[in-house]
Amino acid sequence: MSSIMKIENLQAKIGDKEILKGLNLELEPGKVHAIMGPNGAGKSTLSKAIVGHYDVDVTDGNIIYKNQIINDIAPEKRALEGIFLSFQHPVEIPGVNNAYFLRTALNAKRKHEGKEELDAAAFLRLMKEYLTLLDMKSDMISRSLNVGFSGGEKKRNEILQMMLLEPEVIILDEIDSGLDIDALRAVSEGINKMKDGKRSFLVITHYSRILDYIKPDYIHVLKEGKIIKTAGPELVAQLEEHGYDGIEEE
Amino acid sequence: MNLSILKNKTSEEIGKHLDIKDRVTLLERLSTLGLPSKKNEAYRYFDVEKLLEKEYKILDNLPMSPKPSNKIEIKDGIVVAAPQGMRVYSEHCDKIDMDHFDPLYYLGHLLSPQTIKIELDGDVEVEIEHTFTQSDTLIHYRIVLYNQANRHATVYENFVHETIENTLVLYGYDMHIAQDSTLRVVKMQSMQHSGYSMIASHTINVAQNANALLKTFDIGSDQALQLFKITLDTHAHVDAGHLLYLNANAKRGTVSQIVHTGEYASSTQEAKNILDAQSRGIFDALIKVENTAKYTKAAQNSQAILLHDGAYMIAKPQLEIYIDELEASHGATIGQLDKQQLFYLESRGISHVEAKKILVIAFANTLIEQVKDSRQQERIKIAFEKAFYAGYSENSSLS
Repeated sequence: MSSIMKIENLQAKIGDKEILKGLNLELEPGKVHAIMGPNGAGKSTLSKAIVGHYDVDVTDGNIIYKNQIINDIAPEKRALEGIFLSFQHPVEIPGVNNAYFLRTALNAKRKHEGKEELDAAAFLRLMKEYLTLLDMKSDMISRSLNVGFSGGEKKRNEILQMMLLEPEVIILDEIDSGLDIDALRAVSEGINKMKDGKRSFLVITHYSRILDYIKPDYIHVLKEGKIIKTAGPELVAQLEEHGYDGIEEE
Repeated sequence: MNLSILKNKTSEEIGKHLDIKDRVTLLERLSTLGLPSKKNEAYRYFDVEKLLEKEYKILDNLPMSPKPSNKIEIKDGIVVAAPQGMRVYSEHCDKIDMDHFDPLYYLGHLLSPQTIKIELDGDVEVEIEHTFTQSDTLIHYRIVLYNQANRHATVYENFVHETIENTLVLYGYDMHIAQDSTLRVVKMQSMQHSGYSMIASHTINVAQNANALLKTFDIGSDQALQLFKITLDTHAHVDAGHLLYLNANAKRGTVSQIVHTGEYASSTQEAKNILDAQSRGIFDALIKVENTAKYTKAAQNSQAILLHDGAYMIAKPQLEIYIDELEASHGATIGQLDKQQLFYLESRGISHVEAKKILVIAFANTLIEQVKDSRQQERIKIAFEKAFYAGYSENSSLS
């Protein structure tokens, strides 16, 4: 099957430090790809490189999305084209109303797609539906963006954005970190509802716990800046038993 | 008239040039302080000399009968309209602050012996709209404003202009805020290649147990400086907030002195400055606590965000204290927009320009939202957005 995103020989550094050292990865439409790896392997750098984060300097290789090299495409253009990153640590922005932010983002996307912008009433109706689905308090959209949110609320807010923007490639960077069981379940349900057989998911995680809720199709082991092994979900058990040291590069 | 002719002159010489024979004490104060220049502390960061060196026409400030209106309309220094029943009239100013730090305060009074006197009766809300229509002109006028004791009045001040150029506006208030009263003043001045420069020199006396709430919103380009001297009596309070959003080659800001003279008086002063392109912002503010002002509470803070390498902020919060029994603090920060916040917004498909605008407005909002009247608040927000996009179209730094 042809891939929606293909990463070829990606080399990237942050500052002077080389992190990604010739990484290759293909994301298939409709599949859940999990990236696992030890601390410092380059998992977050990979996610940042895909969305065009200013920290990451891509020195070689290509990120190809829908048959187009996007290395030099601005972050907002990547987002409008359907790439979404759920941040490990969503930033707090005092003074920016969450609802205003969400509506601005949604309308930017709709405008990009040639659709009419959503008015306030229609937006609020949509919000009500998603808030219920994610078991979020209604006051969360009237507060400043992520300000004073608990860890779980921040992650729910990320999933809310994901549902609203309906991206085609969804990168979940440590989505399970800081979540209790109930929050993990609610977030996972939100993610699973987004599965439509076309969207691709890239789940970046340290632990297998999240993979009990979001069933992966592929497990990729990222170590020292490269994908050293790709296998099916059965690889999780092996990793649990032997750790990353027990995995040999293919 | 070329005002620079008054430079380094004796009071007699100044009187002769201005054709003023009496008002000796004012002439002496102006002569002592000297015509402002770079050497004058209050004007060190503002190119006042260039403004004073130009040749200006002078208008005959002959008062006229104002037409009925829902606001006080002042056109080129003359009241042309006012709400019916409101006491707005022309009168010689009898209470001039003889300790003001600004020489142009005295020049303003010398040039405008007849002032516009406004008496605010009761819990009134009034809008004052200043309109400028004359090019190459020195428009000078002074306003004396009184409110009533035990009352809460609000003044909204706005500025409009026709197509003009090379005009200098020299105006200011002598405000007398009565005992046990509250006066809220909201000034919004949006200038974008407006064709005029402005120096506004005010003195504000806050009587016992009175509250002064002073919020100024200075937006856009051009040159303008507001100079305040605020004197606080016993248990008086001032809450001053200044928002500055500048683009192009603007040079604008605030020079102020808040003087605590009575016991238990309190003051807060907060400045938020957002500077783009080659603009220069000024916040040169002194809180002075006299030895009579025991148990003073004073806080002063300036925050600035620079959006461009060419932008420059002068932030000088200062305390001058002559007593031990008080609480006082001051501080200033200068920084840039948070890259992480900017990226977060962009990563959701919001354009770089819109993301910047969202963050800039978020920074400014704490001051804008202090304006209780929703219509006035909306007016400030619209002016702010308009100036932001004007700056964007003139300046590629935002792209």
